[in-house]
Amino acid sequence: MLLLLCGTLCFCACRKDSVPEPPSKDAELTGQKVDVSGFPESVRKVFLLNEGGMGSNNATLDFLRVSDGTYVNGAFRKMNPEVGAGLGDVGNDIAVHGDELWLVVNNSGIVEVLSAKDETEIAAIPVPTPRSLAFDQRYAYVTSWAGAYATGSYDENGNYSVTDSKNPKGQVYRIDLETKKLAGSVEVGYQPEGIAWYGGKLYVANSGGISSQLPPDYAYDNTVSVIDTDSFRVERSISVQVNLKNVYADGTGGIYVTTLGDFWSVHSGLYRIETQTASGIDPVSKVADYVSVSALYGDTVYCIGTDSEFDWGAAHEYQAWSVRNGVRKALPLKVSATALYSLGVLDGDTFLVGDAGDYFNPGTVSCYSGGALRWTVKAGVCPGHFALY
Amino acid sequence: MSARGILLCIDLRSPSAIALAIALSAPWCLQAQEADTLAAASVYSVQVFPVVRPSEEVYLPGVAAPPAQVADVLRRFTGVQVKDYGGVGGLKTVNVRSLGSEHVGVFLDGVQVDNAQNMQVDLGRFSVDGIGLVSLYNGQKTRRLQTAKEYASGASVHLESERPLLVDRDGGRVRLRGGSFGTFNPSLQWDLDLGPVTLRVSAEGVTSHGKYKFPFFDTTLVRENGDIRSLRLESALFGRLRRGEWRLRGYGYGSERGFPGPVIRRATGFPFSAERQADRNLFLQGGWQEDWTPRYATSLRFKFADDYIHYDTHPEKNPMALPYDLHYHQRSGYLSLAQSFVLADPWSVDLSTDLQRNALDTDAGQSVTPRRTVFTGALATRLAWERFRVAAHAVYQGAWDGFLTPEAGGWSRENTFRRAWMPSISLFYAPFRWLEMDGFLKRSYRLPSFNDLYYSQMGNSALDPESAVQAGLDLRFRHASGPWSWEGRLSPYFNRVTDKIVAIPTSSQFRWTMLNIGRVDVTGVDVRLDGRFHQQGWTAEAVFRYSFQRALDHSDPSGSTFGNQIPYIPRHSGGIDLRAGWRAWSFSWDTVVTGERWSRTANTPDYHIAPWSVSDASIARIIDLPASGNRAKAPVLKAGMVVRNVFDRSYQVVQGYPMPGASLMISLEYTW
Repeated sequence: MLLLLCGTLCFCACRKDSVPEPPSKDAELTGQKVDVSGFPESVRKVFLLNEGGMGSNNATLDFLRVSDGTYVNGAFRKMNPEVGAGLGDVGNDIAVHGDELWLVVNNSGIVEVLSAKDETEIAAIPVPTPRSLAFDQRYAYVTSWAGAYATGSYDENGNYSVTDSKNPKGQVYRIDLETKKLAGSVEVGYQPEGIAWYGGKLYVANSGGISSQLPPDYAYDNTVSVIDTDSFRVERSISVQVNLKNVYADGTGGIYVTTLGDFWSVHSGLYRIETQTASGIDPVSKVADYVSVSALYGDTVYCIGTDSEFDWGAAHEYQAWSVRNGVRKALPLKVSATALYSLGVLDGDTFLVGDAGDYFNPGTVSCYSGGALRWTVKAGVCPGHFALY
Repeated sequence: MSARGILLCIDLRSPSAIALAIALSAPWCLQAQEADTLAAASVYSVQVFPVVRPSEEVYLPGVAAPPAQVADVLRRFTGVQVKDYGGVGGLKTVNVRSLGSEHVGVFLDGVQVDNAQNMQVDLGRFSVDGIGLVSLYNGQKTRRLQTAKEYASGASVHLESERPLLVDRDGGRVRLRGGSFGTFNPSLQWDLDLGPVTLRVSAEGVTSHGKYKFPFFDTTLVRENGDIRSLRLESALFGRLRRGEWRLRGYGYGSERGFPGPVIRRATGFPFSAERQADRNLFLQGGWQEDWTPRYATSLRFKFADDYIHYDTHPEKNPMALPYDLHYHQRSGYLSLAQSFVLADPWSVDLSTDLQRNALDTDAGQSVTPRRTVFTGALATRLAWERFRVAAHAVYQGAWDGFLTPEAGGWSRENTFRRAWMPSISLFYAPFRWLEMDGFLKRSYRLPSFNDLYYSQMGNSALDPESAVQAGLDLRFRHASGPWSWEGRLSPYFNRVTDKIVAIPTSSQFRWTMLNIGRVDVTGVDVRLDGRFHQQGWTAEAVFRYSFQRALDHSDPSGSTFGNQIPYIPRHSGGIDLRAGWRAWSFSWDTVVTGERWSRTANTPDYHIAPWSVSDASIARIIDLPASGNRAKAPVLKAGMVVRNVFDRSYQVVQGYPMPGASLMISLEYTW
């Protein structure tokens, strides 16, 4: 409330000075000062979603205001004090769409829509076990692990009724961008994770992260489900590799998929699917092994990984590289992290890297440019997902 | 047991009320009856004196309104933190002096109650029925004929089952207890004298809907899915031999309960949890102790246990649930032989050897079925005069781990052998009648659990083993004059835990995230002051408890949390217990205070947990009924009422798990 009041006072004060655009309500938020020289001018803010620990209700939203180089911690709670419980439990994905900031709060069952200008809440949409986001012109699409609700539906009070409960396959839910209401769902594979839109199709990475722990098969999924957005049906599925995680569309027909591997014999890695072949089949090729974190920037996928990933006790040496048009290029970026957790790309040279530390206490975000470390700030617990505004 | 035997025991020990209780329940007193000469009495002195006294102990049948669960007894022990997830069926574990619950061994008649799967012993499941003495040793319990495992845990809680004392050929007790949360807890106990053998049969049931209100930011919610149903059936045989005794106990426990889950932000329409767990515990446990000669005695103990758990997240009831439907079947066999030799009075040597086998079959994880064989050997030597005693112990533990898997793949590299030496030394010196001092130095070690190694998907299977070095000193003062008696204890200590494993609940209590936070140094002091008054039908007692614990993360000098207090350990905690009795009436008041804590090693305001205190009050009355017909013992009716959390405080012991507000339990008990 006080913050809102401050925001209003500032708004009034600014009007007196007859500045054309009123400053954002979050302009009063203070934080750690960092050096942002050389940051691309197109970037106003860098948002970071900290996942928090499962069951600890400590997902937090940080942002870096590029105009004055201020890194603000815990912005959601500061800008939305009326949401007493805070952002919620396990932040799992973040995306900017227009002037809206979309957050997936996995274990709260909420897709949170905020104003990207000032982080105030626009809508909180209930979605069971939501994981990741993609958009087209009309809808937001959210992957969900809640396979139990294949044929379930909401009533007018927002409660679910369930008809099929023992099907652990996941869903993609569709949310109308205008009304912020659910508008149907479609069943995909086991425990879907990443999702990307390209050319009227959605590409969904199915992990099988839970089914790998369950009888009778103890098997990961290894498919990408392709959904046609017009009919909102799964068209086909493409076999790639076990335990798929992120999907990136490079905007020219290439779809990149990362795998976490099976933590035992199959290494993590990056795969490329060609989608515009005349034959109708989708050739899959492996780009490289060892992907710990990855991010898309423009038509290029950036990856950082280590070849000692199965040795959990080792001090890892990380290699960074990028892929454009299927061509891999090493980067001169030397990252050091206790637990490398996320990657944000500001341009081809400026990177933000999240370090989860002990996964339990607040982690850090470090900025690298020219391959070298520039600064490090304190973030939240498990700094996991970046978005640019 | 003859009156003379009882008196001798009282004579040997301090003249506290507890001594009588120990005398009545301890088997060695049987031997004391035969102590006819001074020389023989001296030999027994080696055997009778525990080298150090327990840090805390309570004789439950002597408590006017005993709590229903062992966890509630331990909550009032100095230096003990009970991690309580709330509710009748909620998990309750203990940690002692900042040692994690895995370092705290819980022993029932000398046999460890263990759980190779997660090494967490849920003290909420232990009924106080049939339990006589509950004692806590912060350091090393050391007396003759212990099992080897009793030497091998950092701190230990010992539950001694009470041997039935029959006046008539049979006797029994019926108790009805019930109250808040829809709790109904009937129990029955029946004893029968069969000459050299006494039979005890008991049964107890618990049902509770477990619902209670709690504040959640600006609203009030109701804790749901915390209901429980349980049934315990037990029978025990207590046999007497000319030079010893034996015991055999068959135990069956079954329960079905919900886990209410952590309180977090959750979209409207989705419940916090629909998780259910059904479990069944069966065991057969026995012991045989024999004094073959005045200088040589043995004790043989065994246990066979068969435990089954079915855990289901019920995704059809909760759209937020991960679809787990898992079964765990754990079996264990345990055999222990303890031998005690009196080499030259008062010098004795004990050799204890234990062998244990655990097997776990489950459809969780990769369906690996771990097997563990543990050998524990302890060599102990003691010199025990009345005023000065010293004991040294060397414990060796070796554990062979392996597992079977449908497709014997690379996983079998986890077949490993782990071993450890655990030395310790204990000293006791009583320079004056009013002052006793004891001290100990000890290193202990705990094996990673099956969950740590094989099943913790949410956490870390590359855990290092955890070891603890402990040093402690106890100063005990005692003073009595007229109707007044005073006791005080001042216990400074230092613990160093390396590769400390911290268990953090994930979204379900059933799964844990395990974390090695390296090294923790604990400096602490326990203080206990106890004053009693006893005169003409009046008794009164006041106990003041205080613990200071500086438990610092000393893992990584360059880390951001170096030097911070570790999670959930309060720097200051304590309490006050007041008890009064007047003729057939008894009253009690207990206040437990926990100072500020943090739920993370980062001691920042975000993770600060405010101090809390709760108070419980009870009132009980005994009504003597006339003896009937040919029975020597007159039946007794006892009525009691306990109000817990009198001031209706809302608080959380574990963040995300709100505790209940004020509640009432009424009990009615008929003993014949």
